[in-house]
Amino acid sequence: MPLNTARENEVLIARPEGRIDALNAREFQSELSAAIDDEAGAVLLDLEDLSYISSAGLRVILLVAKDLRKRDAKLALCSLQAPIREVFETSGFDQILALHASRAEALAALRG
Amino acid sequence: MSRRISLRLESRPEELSRIEAAVEDMAVSEDWPQDFTFRIQLALEELIVNVINYGHSEENPEGHEIEVEMRSDEEALTIEIVDDGQPFDPVNDAPKPDIDAGIEDRPIGGLGVFLVQKMMDEMRYRRDGDRNRLTLVKRKGE
Repeated sequence: MPLNTARENEVLIARPEGRIDALNAREFQSELSAAIDDEAGAVLLDLEDLSYISSAGLRVILLVAKDLRKRDAKLALCSLQAPIREVFETSGFDQILALHASRAEALAALRG
Repeated sequence: MSRRISLRLESRPEELSRIEAAVEDMAVSEDWPQDFTFRIQLALEELIVNVINYGHSEENPEGHEIEVEMRSDEEALTIEIVDDGQPFDPVNDAPKPDIDAGIEDRPIGGLGVFLVQKMMDEMRYRRDGDRNRLTLVKRKGE
Protein backbone atom coordinates (compact mmCIF):
# COMPACT_ATOMS: atom_id res chain seq x y z
CA MET A 1 0.00 0.00 0.00
CA PRO A 2 1.57 3.30 -1.06
CA LEU A 3 1.94 5.91 1.67
CA ASN A 4 2.82 9.37 0.42
CA THR A 5 4.39 11.69 2.96
CA ALA A 6 5.21 15.38 2.94
CA ARG A 7 6.12 17.93 5.55
CA GLU A 8 4.75 21.40 6.07
CA ASN A 9 6.79 23.04 8.81
CA GLU A 10 6.35 20.85 11.87
CA VAL A 11 3.36 18.97 10.43
CA LEU A 12 3.96 15.57 8.88
CA ILE A 13 1.30 14.89 6.25
CA ALA A 14 0.73 11.22 5.44
CA ARG A 15 -1.58 10.21 2.60
CA PRO A 16 -2.32 6.49 2.34
CA GLU A 17 -3.62 5.36 -1.03
CA GLY A 18 -6.08 2.59 -1.84
CA ARG A 19 -7.00 0.14 0.91
CA ILE A 20 -6.02 -0.54 4.50
CA ASP A 21 -7.17 -4.03 5.36
CA ALA A 22 -6.11 -7.11 7.30
CA LEU A 23 -3.55 -7.95 4.64
CA ASN A 24 -1.61 -4.69 4.67
CA ALA A 25 -2.41 -3.03 8.03
CA ARG A 26 0.92 -4.12 9.48
CA GLU A 27 2.79 -2.59 6.55
CA PHE A 28 0.79 0.63 6.95
CA GLN A 29 1.66 0.68 10.64
CA SER A 30 5.39 0.28 10.08
CA GLU A 31 5.52 2.82 7.24
CA LEU A 32 3.55 5.38 9.18
CA SER A 33 5.56 4.86 12.38
CA ALA A 34 8.79 5.20 10.40
CA ALA A 35 7.58 8.47 8.85
CA ILE A 36 6.67 9.95 12.24
CA ASP A 37 10.04 10.95 13.67
CA ASP A 38 10.75 12.97 16.78
CA GLU A 39 10.73 16.20 14.80
CA ALA A 40 7.07 15.80 13.95
CA GLY A 41 5.12 18.01 16.32
CA ALA A 42 1.90 17.19 14.56
CA VAL A 43 0.59 14.58 12.14
CA LEU A 44 -2.09 14.98 9.52
CA LEU A 45 -3.57 11.83 8.00
CA ASP A 46 -5.04 12.91 4.68
CA LEU A 47 -7.46 10.14 3.67
CA GLU A 48 -8.57 11.63 0.36
CA ASP A 49 -7.10 8.73 -1.64
CA LEU A 50 -8.19 6.01 0.75
CA SER A 51 -11.11 4.00 -0.61
CA TYR A 52 -11.40 1.25 2.02
CA ILE A 53 -10.56 0.63 5.66
CA SER A 54 -11.52 -2.23 7.96
CA SER A 55 -11.06 -2.72 11.71
CA ALA A 56 -7.43 -3.75 11.06
CA GLY A 57 -6.76 -0.22 9.79
CA LEU A 58 -8.72 1.44 12.59
CA ARG A 59 -6.57 -0.49 15.04
CA VAL A 60 -3.39 1.05 13.57
CA ILE A 61 -4.86 4.57 13.62
CA LEU A 62 -5.84 4.15 17.28
CA LEU A 63 -2.36 2.86 18.17
CA VAL A 64 -0.75 5.84 16.44
CA ALA A 65 -3.20 8.24 18.11
CA LYS A 66 -2.35 6.82 21.54
CA ASP A 67 1.36 7.08 20.83
CA LEU A 68 1.12 10.70 19.65
CA ARG A 69 -1.01 11.59 22.66
CA LYS A 70 1.71 10.25 24.98
CA ARG A 71 4.27 12.43 23.22
CA ASP A 72 2.01 15.50 23.30
CA ALA A 73 1.99 15.60 19.51
CA LYS A 74 -1.21 16.58 17.72
CA LEU A 75 -3.11 14.41 15.26
CA ALA A 76 -5.76 15.39 12.75
CA LEU A 77 -7.45 13.56 9.88
CA CYS A 78 -9.04 15.03 6.79
CA SER A 79 -10.92 14.35 3.55
CA LEU A 80 -12.57 11.06 4.55
CA GLN A 81 -14.68 9.52 1.78
CA ALA A 82 -18.30 8.95 2.86
CA PRO A 83 -18.15 5.20 3.67
CA ILE A 84 -14.92 5.70 5.60
CA ARG A 85 -16.40 8.54 7.61
CA GLU A 86 -19.30 6.23 8.42
CA VAL A 87 -16.91 3.56 9.72
CA PHE A 88 -15.20 6.16 11.92
CA GLU A 89 -18.52 7.41 13.25
CA THR A 90 -19.90 3.93 13.90
CA SER A 91 -16.74 3.09 15.86
CA GLY A 92 -16.97 6.28 17.89
CA PHE A 93 -13.64 7.42 16.46
CA ASP A 94 -15.17 10.77 15.54
CA GLN A 95 -15.43 11.39 19.30
CA ILE A 96 -11.73 10.90 20.00
CA LEU A 97 -10.09 12.05 16.76
CA ALA A 98 -10.22 15.40 14.99
CA LEU A 99 -11.86 14.78 11.59
CA HIS A 100 -11.78 17.70 9.15
CA ALA A 101 -13.47 18.19 5.79
CA SER A 102 -10.38 19.50 4.00
CA ARG A 103 -6.62 19.54 4.28
CA ALA A 104 -6.60 23.35 4.65
CA GLU A 105 -9.06 23.18 7.55
CA ALA A 106 -7.04 20.46 9.26
CA LEU A 107 -3.75 22.34 8.86
CA ALA A 108 -5.33 25.50 10.27
CA ALA A 109 -6.57 23.54 13.28
CA LEU A 110 -3.17 21.91 13.85
CA ARG A 111 -1.40 25.27 13.71
CA GLY A 112 -3.96 27.01 15.86
CA MET B 1 -32.42 -11.68 -12.12
CA SER B 2 -30.42 -13.42 -9.49
CA ARG B 3 -26.77 -14.26 -9.25
CA ARG B 4 -24.82 -16.64 -7.12
CA ILE B 5 -21.12 -16.99 -6.38
CA SER B 6 -19.52 -19.58 -4.18
CA LEU B 7 -15.92 -19.90 -3.11
CA ARG B 8 -13.99 -22.38 -1.06
CA LEU B 9 -11.13 -20.81 0.89
CA GLU B 10 -8.20 -22.14 2.80
CA SER B 11 -7.81 -20.76 6.29
CA ARG B 12 -5.08 -18.20 5.59
CA PRO B 13 -5.20 -14.40 5.23
CA GLU B 14 -3.95 -14.32 1.62
CA GLU B 15 -7.28 -15.87 0.62
CA LEU B 16 -8.98 -12.56 1.46
CA SER B 17 -7.86 -11.23 -1.94
CA ARG B 18 -10.02 -13.82 -3.66
CA ILE B 19 -13.06 -12.69 -1.70
CA GLU B 20 -12.32 -9.06 -2.46
CA ALA B 21 -12.10 -9.84 -6.18
CA ALA B 22 -15.33 -11.88 -6.14
CA VAL B 23 -17.24 -9.05 -4.41
CA GLU B 24 -15.80 -6.53 -6.87
CA ASP B 25 -16.94 -8.68 -9.81
CA MET B 26 -20.46 -8.90 -8.47
CA ALA B 27 -20.46 -5.17 -7.66
CA VAL B 28 -19.46 -4.24 -11.19
CA SER B 29 -21.86 -6.62 -12.93
CA GLU B 30 -24.80 -5.52 -10.76
CA ASP B 31 -23.77 -1.87 -10.58
CA TRP B 32 -23.85 -1.65 -6.78
CA PRO B 33 -23.53 1.78 -5.16
CA GLN B 34 -20.09 2.41 -3.66
CA ASP B 35 -21.25 2.36 -0.05
CA PHE B 36 -23.08 -0.95 -0.54
CA THR B 37 -19.92 -2.56 -1.97
CA PHE B 38 -17.87 -1.12 0.89
CA ARG B 39 -20.16 -2.67 3.52
CA ILE B 40 -20.09 -6.07 1.85
CA GLN B 41 -16.29 -6.01 1.55
CA LEU B 42 -15.98 -5.01 5.18
CA ALA B 43 -18.42 -7.64 6.50
CA LEU B 44 -16.72 -10.46 4.63
CA GLU B 45 -13.22 -9.37 5.61
CA GLU B 46 -14.03 -9.01 9.31
CA LEU B 47 -15.85 -12.32 9.63
CA ILE B 48 -13.39 -14.34 7.58
CA VAL B 49 -10.44 -12.85 9.50
CA ASN B 50 -12.21 -13.99 12.67
CA VAL B 51 -12.64 -17.52 11.36
CA ILE B 52 -8.98 -17.63 10.29
CA ASN B 53 -7.70 -16.25 13.62
CA TYR B 54 -9.97 -18.05 16.07
CA GLY B 55 -11.23 -21.15 14.33
CA HIS B 56 -8.26 -23.39 15.09
CA SER B 57 -8.80 -26.20 17.51
CA GLU B 58 -6.64 -28.86 19.12
CA GLU B 59 -8.15 -31.54 16.91
CA ASN B 60 -7.59 -29.41 13.83
CA PRO B 61 -4.54 -27.22 14.44
CA GLU B 62 -3.80 -26.82 10.74
CA GLY B 63 -6.89 -24.75 10.20
CA HIS B 64 -9.85 -25.63 8.13
CA GLU B 65 -11.97 -24.88 5.15
CA ILE B 66 -14.17 -21.88 4.74
CA GLU B 67 -17.03 -21.84 2.28
CA VAL B 68 -18.51 -18.54 1.22
CA GLU B 69 -21.65 -18.18 -0.81
CA MET B 70 -23.17 -14.93 -2.02
CA ARG B 71 -26.67 -14.86 -3.47
CA SER B 72 -27.97 -11.68 -4.96
CA ASP B 73 -31.49 -10.88 -6.11
CA GLU B 74 -33.42 -7.67 -6.59
CA GLU B 75 -34.22 -7.31 -2.91
CA ALA B 76 -31.05 -8.24 -1.09
CA LEU B 77 -27.64 -9.80 -0.97
CA THR B 78 -27.44 -12.88 1.25
CA ILE B 79 -24.06 -14.18 2.37
CA GLU B 80 -23.33 -17.51 4.00
CA ILE B 81 -20.00 -18.27 5.64
CA VAL B 82 -19.54 -21.88 6.70
CA ASP B 83 -16.43 -23.22 8.41
CA ASP B 84 -15.42 -26.39 10.21
CA GLY B 85 -13.45 -24.63 12.96
CA GLN B 86 -14.30 -24.77 16.63
CA PRO B 87 -17.71 -23.39 17.64
CA PHE B 88 -17.80 -19.61 17.73
CA ASP B 89 -20.92 -17.48 17.67
CA PRO B 90 -19.91 -13.92 16.80
CA VAL B 91 -23.49 -12.71 17.17
CA ASN B 92 -23.58 -13.46 20.89
CA ASP B 93 -20.03 -14.25 21.96
CA ALA B 94 -17.96 -11.43 20.43
CA PRO B 95 -17.04 -8.92 23.13
CA LYS B 96 -18.81 -5.57 22.84
CA PRO B 97 -16.35 -2.73 22.25
CA ASP B 98 -16.34 0.39 24.39
CA ILE B 99 -16.97 3.13 21.84
CA ASP B 100 -17.28 5.93 24.39
CA ALA B 101 -13.91 5.77 26.13
CA GLY B 102 -11.29 8.49 25.60
CA ILE B 103 -8.13 7.86 23.57
CA GLU B 104 -6.03 6.65 26.52
CA ASP B 105 -8.66 4.19 27.75
CA ARG B 106 -9.95 3.01 24.41
CA PRO B 107 -9.12 -0.67 24.02
CA ILE B 108 -7.28 -1.71 20.87
CA GLY B 109 -9.32 -3.98 18.65
CA GLY B 110 -12.68 -5.67 19.08
CA LEU B 111 -14.41 -3.49 16.50
CA GLY B 112 -14.74 -5.97 13.64
CA VAL B 113 -17.90 -7.88 14.51
CA PHE B 114 -19.46 -4.74 15.96
CA LEU B 115 -19.04 -2.92 12.62
CA VAL B 116 -20.53 -5.84 10.73
CA GLN B 117 -23.59 -5.88 12.99
CA LYS B 118 -24.10 -2.16 12.41
CA MET B 119 -23.67 -2.42 8.66
CA MET B 120 -25.74 -5.50 7.85
CA ASP B 121 -29.51 -5.78 8.15
CA GLU B 122 -29.40 -9.31 9.54
CA MET B 123 -26.71 -11.50 11.04
CA ARG B 124 -27.55 -15.01 12.25
CA TYR B 125 -25.41 -17.82 13.58
CA ARG B 126 -26.06 -21.48 14.03
CA ARG B 127 -23.92 -24.50 14.77
CA ASP B 128 -24.73 -26.99 12.07
CA GLY B 129 -23.22 -30.39 12.96
CA ASP B 130 -19.48 -29.74 13.15
CA ARG B 131 -19.75 -26.47 11.29
CA ASN B 132 -20.30 -22.82 12.06
CA ARG B 133 -22.85 -21.27 9.75
CA LEU B 134 -23.17 -17.49 9.59
CA THR B 135 -25.85 -15.84 7.49
CA LEU B 136 -25.77 -12.16 6.63
CA VAL B 137 -28.40 -10.19 4.79
CA LYS B 138 -27.99 -6.73 3.32
CA ARG B 139 -31.07 -5.30 1.68
CA LYS B 140 -30.73 -3.23 -1.45
CA GLY B 141 -32.21 0.14 -2.22
CA GLU B 142 -32.07 1.70 1.23
